[in-house]
Amino acid sequence: MLLQFDRLGWWRWVLVGITGLTVVYLLMPILFIAALSFGASQWLIFPPPAWTTRWYGELFADPRWLESAWVSFVIACVVAVLSVVIGLAAAYGLVRGTFRGREALKAFFLTPMILPVVILAVALYALFLRVGLNGTTTGFVIAHLVVALPFAVLTITSALEGFDKAIEDAAILCGASPLEAVVRVTLPGIAHGLFSAAVFSFLASWDEVVLAIFMASPTLQTLPVKIWATLRQDLTPVIAAASTLLIGLTILLMLLVAVIRRGTRS
Amino acid sequence: MTEPYLEIDGIRREFGPVVAVEAVRLTIQRGEFMTFLGPSGSGKSTTLYILAGLDVPTAGDIRLEGRSLLSTPPQHRQIGMVFQRYTLFPHLTVAENVAFPLVVRRRPRAEIDAKVKAMLRLVRLEGFEDRKPAQMSGGQQQRVALARALVYDPPVLLMDEPLSALDKKLREEIQFEIRRIHQETGVTILYVTHDQEEALRLSDRIAVFSKGVIDQVGTGEELYAHPTTRFVAGFIGDSDFLTATVTAAEKGRADLKLGDDVIVRGVPIHGDPGRPGAKASLMLRPERIDVATAPSSAVDGDRAALPATVEDITFLGASIHLAARTAWGEAVAVRLPYGHPAAAGLARGQSIGLGFEPAAAHCFL
Ligand SMILES: Nc1ncnc2c1ncn2[C@@H]1O[C@H](COP(=O)(O)OP(=O)(O)OP(=O)(O)O)[C@@H](O)[C@H]1O
Ligand SMILES: [Mg+2]
Repeated sequence: MLLQFDRLGWWRWVLVGITGLTVVYLLMPILFIAALSFGASQWLIFPPPAWTTRWYGELFADPRWLESAWVSFVIACVVAVLSVVIGLAAAYGLVRGTFRGREALKAFFLTPMILPVVILAVALYALFLRVGLNGTTTGFVIAHLVVALPFAVLTITSALEGFDKAIEDAAILCGASPLEAVVRVTLPGIAHGLFSAAVFSFLASWDEVVLAIFMASPTLQTLPVKIWATLRQDLTPVIAAASTLLIGLTILLMLLVAVIRRGTRS
Repeated sequence: MTEPYLEIDGIRREFGPVVAVEAVRLTIQRGEFMTFLGPSGSGKSTTLYILAGLDVPTAGDIRLEGRSLLSTPPQHRQIGMVFQRYTLFPHLTVAENVAFPLVVRRRPRAEIDAKVKAMLRLVRLEGFEDRKPAQMSGGQQQRVALARALVYDPPVLLMDEPLSALDKKLREEIQFEIRRIHQETGVTILYVTHDQEEALRLSDRIAVFSKGVIDQVGTGEELYAHPTTRFVAGFIGDSDFLTATVTAAEKGRADLKLGDDVIVRGVPIHGDPGRPGAKASLMLRPERIDVATAPSSAVDGDRAALPATVEDITFLGASIHLAARTAWGEAVAVRLPYGHPAAAGLARGQSIGLGFEPAAAHCFL
């Protein structure tokens, strides 16, 4: 290593300081909203004058909040499954295929990541108007799949690239059919990649709000849409509680990915 | 000769404009240990992959006991293979890896357990059943791979440089194991390497690959003593090459002129010299050259002698290496056994005569 941390002298405290500030900067909004969700103030006063779990009680007492959370969860689960299945098929073609233009195709699969979501939303909205998918679960799933797929393609492609094809060949020479070799050897070998892809896809849908606002109907709302809609009516700490739960599940899943990554490496 | 067991009949493999294998023809006997030896990119792996069914030849055929294998998909060829890279299934234990071919074949549990046990004993890895591949050394992994390739009694075992990632000591140890396993199981082995020592140590016969064709097939000794191409002569063992002109040739022997005035008579010749005056190269083995301390170009009995000077002397324990230069300026390496009388009085710059038997030399065109 050219730059050795231990040899940097007092410079390393500068680095530690910058890192610390970055962490605080990134965590601040989350800590802030979590604190507010437990604050007793109706007007979201910070720092909270007293602590309470009242807003969580109100949240769980309101069936509309629970319903939207459930809708979000179901859509995110379906998106995760479809995204992994389609992403796996795409990754196989991209990694093992020998056709021309693979690199271009790979870049194309990632375009939803850089395309402004609002443009995607308007386009899908216009399209779904014609086929009558707005306000349906199917519409939500299709829309979220567009933003989730790049994560799955990216994650599974890199897992598959790291898995030596000779191992699959060895399985075939052992007597396994090509399909059997993939199912028994390759898929278990890239299981951590498939799992990460599922989690990233789930999260891409779980906290997505722009597409969801376009897709939503008064009777079908995801949690982020519900938060947004409530926010426009009145500012209540229940929103903070809902947001905290949304973030909570996200953090939990990311931790799970980290733990599993660590498990497969050792 | 017994009847051919495995026949490689003129296979060719093109990758677009690249001809990886041009025309490989080879017959292998049952139970034989055949090694493909050749430099990088000479088509050894491609030939092996075609035999395994992982690749398809552009032309040609392969037959096992007279039946073409080309229409049989790789999973049904029953051919075992050990790869250069580590190919154990990472999520399975050692025992599960070895059991895999039998599990796929839906064999009964009792038979699987018994065979896995026997195989791990064969490769001397008893007690490692429950380890994961990542917990094994490279040499152990390749031995597990060998057990996995042999567990279903394949008639033919292919090995593509299985030891090239291991250090020298471990390599020699596993070479010895492979030889023992070959003798114990009687399996026909096709082994790829670019290490000539490994090839000589293991094989019954060696096929020397060069640029997509087999230059020569034979036992190690045959290839060493009677190379038929300049490439084989240079690849097996050490060799000196000197430029020469053919002055006369008949019945496979040639008279050669070296330098301006040295004539060597009766050298075995490979290839058609055409008319006298053709350019050729004379090949000598460094250990078959004798050193006379008096310079001489005279023919002493049957021996030829080249005038030269000593440029460098290196003591290497069992042998002494001499870098000499002929009177007309060509470098010649000479190897004398330790204790050779001529070695005692040699010094740099000294004039010497390099003696050799023309019949033991080779002339390539
Ligand atoms: N899939 C491929 N596409 C294009 N060219 C290839 C392919 N596989 C092999 N080749 C070419 O074919 C030639 C022979 O390759 P092969 O792998 O058989 O050589 P080898 O004798 O096994 O060499 P090594 O000792 O390096 O393993 C090489 O020139 C190689 O570049
Ligand atoms: Mg090779």
